[in-house]
Amino acid sequence: MMSDFQKSSNKLWKSLKDYNEDPEVLKAKTNEFLEGVTDDFDSSKLSGLSRRKFLALLSASAALTATACTNYRDKGEIIPYNKKPEDVMPGIANYYASTCNGCSQSCGILVKTREGRPIKIDGNPDHPTSKGKICAKGQASILNLYDPERLTDPLVLRKKTDWKSVDSDIISALNNSQSSGKEIAIVTGEITSPTTKKVLDDFIAKYPNTKIYSYSLINDQQRRDAWMDSYGSDEYPAIKWNDSDVILALDADFLGNEGSYIENMRKHALRRETNGKIDFNRLYVAEGRMSVTGMLADYRFRISPDTQYEFVMALINELSSHGSSIVLDSNAKSKFGKYSLAKFESLIGKDNLNHLINDLNKNRGKSIVYAGDTFPKEVHVAVNLLNEVLGNTSLYDYTNSFKSLVKHSSAEEISQLVDSMNKGKVGTVIHFDSNPVFTLPDDFGYASALKKVTLVVSLSETENESSAAGNYSLPINNQLESWGDAYVRGGVYSLQQPVIAPIFDSRQKEAILLTWIAGNSSAFNEDIYHNCLMNSFNTDVYSKANTFADAKSFWNSALNDGVVNITEKVLSVKFNIAAFNNLNDLTSSKDFTIHLHNNYFIGDGKFANNGWLQEIPHPVSRVTWDNYAAVSPSTAKNLNVDNSDLLHIKVGNRNLTLPAFVQPGLADKLISIELGYGRTVIGEVGKEVGFNAVTLMSKNVQPSPFIFSDASVSKAGGKHELVSTQEQHALDDTFVKDFHRIRRIIQEGTVLKYIKEPNFLHEEKEKLFSITNEVKYTGNKWAMAIDLNKCTNCQVCVASCNVENNIAVVGKEQVSKGRVMQWIRLDRYYSGTPDEPIASNQPMLCQHCDNAPCENVCPVNATNHSPDGLNQMVYNRCVGTRYCSNNCPYKVRRFNFFNYRDDFADSYYENDLTALVNNPEVTVRSRGVMEKCSFCIQRIMEARSDAIRDNRPLKGSDVVTACQQACPTEAITFGDANDPTSPVAKLRDHNLSYHVLEELNVKPNVTYIAKLRNTHSEEIL
Amino acid sequence: MKRTVLDYALKIRLPLTLFVVAVSVILTFYFSRAERDSVGYNPEQPIKFSHKLHAGQMAIDCQYCHIGVAKDRHAILPSVNICMNCHTVSRKDRPEIIKLTQFYTTGKPIPWKRIHKVPEYAYFNHSVHINKGIDCASCHGDVKQMDLVSQVKPFTMTACLDCHRNSQAQLPYLKTVRNGPENCWACHR
Repeated sequence: MMSDFQKSSNKLWKSLKDYNEDPEVLKAKTNEFLEGVTDDFDSSKLSGLSRRKFLALLSASAALTATACTNYRDKGEIIPYNKKPEDVMPGIANYYASTCNGCSQSCGILVKTREGRPIKIDGNPDHPTSKGKICAKGQASILNLYDPERLTDPLVLRKKTDWKSVDSDIISALNNSQSSGKEIAIVTGEITSPTTKKVLDDFIAKYPNTKIYSYSLINDQQRRDAWMDSYGSDEYPAIKWNDSDVILALDADFLGNEGSYIENMRKHALRRETNGKIDFNRLYVAEGRMSVTGMLADYRFRISPDTQYEFVMALINELSSHGSSIVLDSNAKSKFGKYSLAKFESLIGKDNLNHLINDLNKNRGKSIVYAGDTFPKEVHVAVNLLNEVLGNTSLYDYTNSFKSLVKHSSAEEISQLVDSMNKGKVGTVIHFDSNPVFTLPDDFGYASALKKVTLVVSLSETENESSAAGNYSLPINNQLESWGDAYVRGGVYSLQQPVIAPIFDSRQKEAILLTWIAGNSSAFNEDIYHNCLMNSFNTDVYSKANTFADAKSFWNSALNDGVVNITEKVLSVKFNIAAFNNLNDLTSSKDFTIHLHNNYFIGDGKFANNGWLQEIPHPVSRVTWDNYAAVSPSTAKNLNVDNSDLLHIKVGNRNLTLPAFVQPGLADKLISIELGYGRTVIGEVGKEVGFNAVTLMSKNVQPSPFIFSDASVSKAGGKHELVSTQEQHALDDTFVKDFHRIRRIIQEGTVLKYIKEPNFLHEEKEKLFSITNEVKYTGNKWAMAIDLNKCTNCQVCVASCNVENNIAVVGKEQVSKGRVMQWIRLDRYYSGTPDEPIASNQPMLCQHCDNAPCENVCPVNATNHSPDGLNQMVYNRCVGTRYCSNNCPYKVRRFNFFNYRDDFADSYYENDLTALVNNPEVTVRSRGVMEKCSFCIQRIMEARSDAIRDNRPLKGSDVVTACQQACPTEAITFGDANDPTSPVAKLRDHNLSYHVLEELNVKPNVTYIAKLRNTHSEEIL
Repeated sequence: MKRTVLDYALKIRLPLTLFVVAVSVILTFYFSRAERDSVGYNPEQPIKFSHKLHAGQMAIDCQYCHIGVAKDRHAILPSVNICMNCHTVSRKDRPEIIKLTQFYTTGKPIPWKRIHKVPEYAYFNHSVHINKGIDCASCHGDVKQMDLVSQVKPFTMTACLDCHRNSQAQLPYLKTVRNGPENCWACHR
């Protein structure tokens, strides 16, 4: 172990192979391209065009060209509007505030449209909780609007039909169900809109046999149940993360994908500010899997989810002995008295445990313990008590509490529905934008019961597993074509407005129900739901708002802002100790534990057909286009599996075979799997990507539906190749590790060290000299600074860059060859040991070096330098030698080995519809040219043009790059380095600032702010 | 030594042919330059709109119709409703105005023939130039004197750079103008 430690202490490793100095990896690091990247083309896969045919085509096209040339001066036509809408200017973007429907958080969004088509989604800065930021799903969801496989027309038994006949058929069927006393079941996901709820209520009023079932795969029901028991209300508070000095997260990925994580990240980052006084919080994470939050932890303990209950109880026992803010009766005391921390001392180390206890003890009232959504109710209740003991309830924020409009259906309710379906008591099933066949565990028997229902109607944007099992598939509007509202957080009522007319013959999902409620197919009109929404707004919001504005103006201003702040009574609650006393004690697992949890980018499978999201590398493992069974290195050794080897998992009578991935830092004897993958009925992109872990779930699993004890796991034999971007672009640090000055790509320190020696990073700095004359930059000089203290590795910047800069999707096979096209990537390094790794993240993009090495080697001057400090890339000049990429020390240049829009899945993304997603201000690159980050030159030029129009000098703050705008923690700063007052210039002079590979003297213009870890030591390792 | 046919062909015929070919290529290249750059291109338009009448005689400001030119990348051709600001009243009986009114009432846009064009990969921005005080005529010629608009200057990268490099000389009416940017990303991205 000691030798391991020494080996690792002076180098960083990107994967286990790397750590063990696998010769292949070492070799790969010295090469620019992965093995296979530059392979010859496989002739059998090339076009079948024969030489003869090619010549024939050539002459034909020459003849055509000659004909075309007879009018070679013709430049086509310019067709202006007939009657120009007042607010649309060709070439100038319009922005509309709306609400995102991607998940149940309902963040406020700002949609950018050009000439009437949406091209970019960003956060709405006026939204009180998300504050101008949205997640990667929200960013990339624009592609779903232009998904070539959306339903275009209403279908009956897969055949095109028209709405009028659909409406009258269904209305008569509904009346039949009603008169014959059969149930009408509406199965929906989580309802976030109060007006949708009203429509559902109206539906029940019209057809009283209707029952509503609300079920979503990814939910917070366990937490809500615990709050119901502990506090008598299933409404739970937001956490004031920015006021928490100590955070203990128990398998809670609150900075990664749980709850309102974008908001959490922002608040957490407020306590990672290195400008001015250092006032860091301290983040402890106790988890089994390796999550994003775990990677950011100051202290990370490997505790399997099945032992967390004992851990919490033992903590209560220990901490209540030092005093308690709540009166503990003898029942409670005897309940937690059984548990002791002794068991965990060996697991997490005595020192670490003492630090945790001391920190929680000293920071009573300013610390928070937070359990993950997948944990059973019992753990949540115990955590609630622990927070009560510590007096941490002052950090609960009920003004923005999490509301629930329609209760999540319990397993019993759904079992009853399936039972009624099987007995023929259900006349109609309506899938209201939901996909229960995919998201419900198999042992409900929902799919087979559906066959016994005569009328199954699915309201959906695309065909899915549930619609394929029914008779009617009705296309509904995308969120950008819809009206709507959302009320999920206390005090926040947000509105959704359409920014484009429906592209296909689809309808608003509520409007379809309203037509059926009216009982007459001619009742439908375009405004039916719009009017309903306005009425509901007037009664629920306007009438209660204390305003002098008339209803119409108030509505218009609310639409303009996208959100209305409403004043309402804040819940006041008291902990019910009986809830704790009545808990069933949970025991730990004897065999393997399986932990199913949310994925990072594709939701409950809803975004599986979105190539951009499938291709964003997993924040921890860097795997794309797949999910897998993560196992710890030592468990992998015991099971004798390596990456991509198939594992067979058996829980009770439920089985799943999927590839293993050896994840450093995972708890032993734990399998962690992401949900949402393995869709079968979906478009070309998402079909059979990954493995469906819902098959492991069961209606009977207690206490949590996501954690199973006593599973058996074995090697299945066979392989499923996992494709990871992890070992690609390995930064070259092996060569220089023996140099007197270690080439530090990641530079880090601890808070204690920094307070003691603020200049510790620059002590051994050498003066670098240049052999060429330095170019003087007068005027603007663009530069970026990235604060690694704030970066959470969320990949929102990647998603935002993809959309802004028309980045192509290349597909799994091309990713495996190292041809991923993303302009910004997040590098993840491990240090320490494979069992207890310390992760470091670093966004890497074109550094726009002053002495750019790529420029010197380009034979055609296709890449060169601009007077404002940008490393320019000119596609028209590029002849594709790839010398520049070869000479780039940061490996940030991307080559178009194919025309990827044409190459990916047989021109999947090359069609008239999907082309509409492209940003018209950025060239769509074709085969054979190099591309890379441009610092969003289109935004710089737009700001410059505005400055000239206003007759003022261009300032750095006028330009906001796409990654910067999207970054939830504002870790990215962009601006003018020549303006000494600009934030970026100040960060360049920060004590913690450094450049990657500084000793090369290429003078990069991206400055990194070294990460400080808030541990009790001055050393990191 | 006997002169063969080959000698004749190599010494006289071949050089002569090459000379003639080279000269004709050079001459064609030189003289067709304007033609190839579209200088003088003046297609028939769907409506015989006269800039000479509107912008010249009546002195209507360019920006009355080309509304985008000072705030947008595109100058923007006027939508039919701008024409109808006047022509709902004026000259309603003229055949061209009757045509115009038909476009307006049927809701069809007018397919104007495009005269000036920079390639798609050049992101030219009108507003930057106009806001610097550059006169429309510097690129588009004296449109105020044209009945049928034709292109008078080439729209090539050379033409752009001529002015960006020698602004003072090319735009003598602008006393303080500085040279424009010459870097690639100023126009291409």
